Order: sequence, then C-alpha cells, then structure tokens
Amino acid sequence: MKKPARTTRAPEGEQPVERRRRLIGARGAPLLPEAGAGGAPLTAVIAVMSFLAVLAMASLLIVNQAASEWTSALRSELTVQVKGADATEIAEGVAAALRVLNETDGVIEAEERDKDETAALLEPWLGEGNAAAFLNIPAIIEVKATPALRADLDLLRNRLTAAAPGASLDDHARWHDRLASAARSGQAMAFGVFLLVMGAACAISIFAARAGLAANHEIVSVLHLVGATDAFIAAEVQRRFFILGLRGALIGLGVALGALGLAGLAMRTSGGADSFIPAFSLSGFMLIWLAAAPIATCLVTAITARLTVLKTLRGQY
Amino acid sequence: MEPAKEIVRFDNVGLSYEDEPETLSDVTMTLNEGEFRFLTGPSGAGKTSLLKMIYLAHKPTRGKFFLFGENAADAPRDALPALRRRIGVVFQEFRLLDHLTAFENVALPMKVAGVNQNQYREDVSELLNWVGLGHRMDAHPPTLSGGEKQRVALARALVSKPDLILADEPTGNVDPAMGERIMKLFVELNKLGAAVIVATHDLHLVQSIGKPLLRISDGTLSRSAGAGGAQ
Repeated sequence: MKKPARTTRAPEGEQPVERRRRLIGARGAPLLPEAGAGGAPLTAVIAVMSFLAVLAMASLLIVNQAASEWTSALRSELTVQVKGADATEIAEGVAAALRVLNETDGVIEAEERDKDETAALLEPWLGEGNAAAFLNIPAIIEVKATPALRADLDLLRNRLTAAAPGASLDDHARWHDRLASAARSGQAMAFGVFLLVMGAACAISIFAARAGLAANHEIVSVLHLVGATDAFIAAEVQRRFFILGLRGALIGLGVALGALGLAGLAMRTSGGADSFIPAFSLSGFMLIWLAAAPIATCLVTAITARLTVLKTLRGQY
Repeated sequence: MEPAKEIVRFDNVGLSYEDEPETLSDVTMTLNEGEFRFLTGPSGAGKTSLLKMIYLAHKPTRGKFFLFGENAADAPRDALPALRRRIGVVFQEFRLLDHLTAFENVALPMKVAGVNQNQYREDVSELLNWVGLGHRMDAHPPTLSGGEKQRVALARALVSKPDLILADEPTGNVDPAMGERIMKLFVELNKLGAAVIVATHDLHLVQSIGKPLLRISDGTLSRSAGAGGAQ
C-alpha cells in the first residue's frame, strides 16, 4: 500500500482534547488492567514475602555478627590454669608461669584473674562463700597473644609445664570450633529460609501470572492480533508485576525495619546487650543488605512472571 | 508489466474446530495487491472463519495458505506478529479494550509496533476526527454507542496504513451516511494499493460499490462478479 502523505495539523486548529494530550504527552493506561494481574492481593502477598525475606536476611547478618564477635574474642585470648596441692604451691606456680609468659615473644598481656572473681564463677554450683573455704581453686591467668604465637603453642606449653608442673594452657580451640559450627548452622538456616521465601515468591508469581493471563485472555488475544510479540506482552506483564512487587517490597521492608528496630531497642533496654546474643543496631551496612532482600523478592517476582507468560504463550497460535 | 503481488492465497484449505466436521472445505482463492472483494453468504456459512484464518487467529487444518508470499500455515510463531502488523482488521464485535480510551485503542497497533507516541499522535487524532469522534478521544468503550465503537474499531484497523484490510460487517452499526463514508474510505485505500476484503450481508452496499464478490455457503467458497465489476 502506498503511504499517503501525512498532514500537519496547525496548532490553532487543534482541539482542546488533542492539545491536552500533546502538552501532557501522557503515556496512557497500561495495556493490561491493574485488577487483571492480581492487584492488591498480590501486593499484600509480596509484602509478606518481603517481610519474611528481610527477617531471614537480618537473622543471617545478626548470627554472622555474633559469631564474629564470639570467635574473635576466643581467637585473641589464651588461658593458663595453675593447679596445686595448696595455696602456696598455686601461688608459686602462678609466679613461675607469669615469668615464662612475660619472657615469651607474642604475649601482649598476661594477668592473673582475681581469686574472688574465680570463686564467684563457681558459686552457681557450690553456693556462696563455699568455694574458697573447701577447695584449692586453681588460679587463672588470662593471656592476650598475637596470632603468630597462637599458630604454634607447643613450645610455650612445654616451657610452662617445665616452670610450673601444675600449669596447663588452654587455647579455646574446642570452644571456638563449636561456636563456629553453631554459627555456620545458624547462617545456613537463615539462608535456607531466605531461599524458601524466594521460592514461595516464585510460585506465587507463576500462579498470579497464569491467572492474570486467563483473566485477560481477550486483551492478550487482541494484542496478538494487532501484531504484539510474546516478548512485548511478557514485558507488559513484567512491568506490571514489578510495580506491584516494588510496592509490596517497600511495605514489607518498612514493616520489617520497624519490627527489627523495636527488637533492638527492647534488647538494649532489657540489658540484652550483655547476654549471649550481642545487641544489634540498624547500621548502614546492615540496611544495605536488608534492602537487598525485598529488591530480590521484587525482581524474582517480575522475572518469574515474564518467563511464565513467555512459556504459556509459546503453546498458542 | 510487473505481475501483481499475491497478498492472500489459499490452496485447498480446510478448517475444522477440534474434532468437528470442517467449517471451511477446499477453499481456493487468491487476492492480489490492490484487489477489493466482498465476501457474502448466509449467517454461519463461514465468512468470519475465513477472515480469522487470514488475520492469523486460526490455523488451517489442511491445505496451503500464503500471506504476503509467506507460508503462513507453517510459519514459526515468532514470524506471525510481523505478518499481523500488515493487516488491519475491523472485527464484527469490535474487540476494543475497555480499560483504554478511544485514542489509546486506536493507537494500539502503533504502540505494539514500538512507534513513538510523538510519531502517531497526529495520525490517531486525524483518524478519530475523520470518523467523527474527535470530541470523544478520552472516552472509554463502555461509554460509547455501538456505532461509535465501530468507528473506533475502524480507525484502529487503518491507523498503521495496512497492506491488507479485512472488515467483518463494518457498516452494521452505523447510519447509512456513515456506512457510505466508510465504504468510500475502503475504496480510496484500495486505490492507494491496499487489498480489501469486506464481509457483509448488505447486498445493496455490494451493488453500490460494484466490486467482485466471493460467496460462501456451507463452508465452500465460490466467486461471482459484483454488480458493477466483472472478475
């Protein structure tokens, strides 16, 4: 067909409706109606998924932070325990051990723990005031050492035993390994929950995209008949799901941050900072990772919807 | 003289829906560039089914079907959109999208073809003005009368200046004066090179335009001369 020449409309002849359209340059309504893609229910579900994803990510970060604090403390310290038949023998052993420690390269600080403090550690099992009265409580020397010294403790261990036969060196390796293992388990669990949430978001997106295509069958058919490609329709659905997902993700993120902020505040005010689990605060680093969780949910939702539409349309004429 | 290009060619084409008897049998026809055909026949004879095959809504169950010289019956799925963009269809039931305005409905073929709004805004406005709906560009289809919907559907079919125009009862819901204008537009577009097939029951219209006639009855196609033109 020969293309007829296009006429140029003079601005003064323009009708008000056309003028408004030209000036505003409105993009127009989306080609798929809002309600067809699930609308508010899908936003709500994505908000819940994002909330759970943020909590899973927060758990991962908190366990990571706690494990780091626990193991770094254990890694930098050694403990020398000095036993003896009586207080005099223990005191001589402590003096000898301190001499050896202070002469050793790599020992940053060595200090005997206060006897009353040591006795207080046993009070939960022996009762108040009983420990010191009935037992020769071993003396404890706390040692801060360099990593180089920690790498090979056999020589120090032998010198301590030679100087003070009742002395024994504990490098906390057993505790460190157990804590590291527990931390890894916690991290794996949190990551597993995060993956499950992403999987659930995928499943929901597949279901919603299929339902949306079925509900909008006539629209999709007309789009095809006027020349739309599958990719064009899939991009429309993806855009729709991305907007719904972003809306839901922001809601989920906001609620989750509020819940985490309250939990952190509650821990600090109840003295939880001194407990086994360290207190946490929403630092900039943490916020970046937490924000990544709903963004991932949003992207997973949109991309899954696109792939679902492409797969569904592929089977049609 | 260069031979006219084939726009549509059916060779012994049959169409059946699922396991039912054939709706169309042994359809053989050719439509060349610049040709105009009326398609008539009683209700249920297969006029709409034939048009649906041409605008690639249904795939023939047997026979050969060529569209714009390409084997459309066996074309891969990703080749179909480009073929469909060369066809303008005025559907009998309009098939407008209710959530879009009249302007957006007309602009749909341009939008899916990736044309920038600045490039088609004038054409869409001009067409809507031509069909007398310049004042209803922002109206949604549910608020339009049957005749107005038909005119929006017509504008949508023509906006991309297609090589093949298919119209299924395009004057069924408009007054005689508008019907005559629409038919004259088809004739003008045909003179500009577009091939046209108009399915209609209106024999008075067929006679007044005087173009060749395809008659369909019980799923079989026959050809006869129109009132004013021999073929």
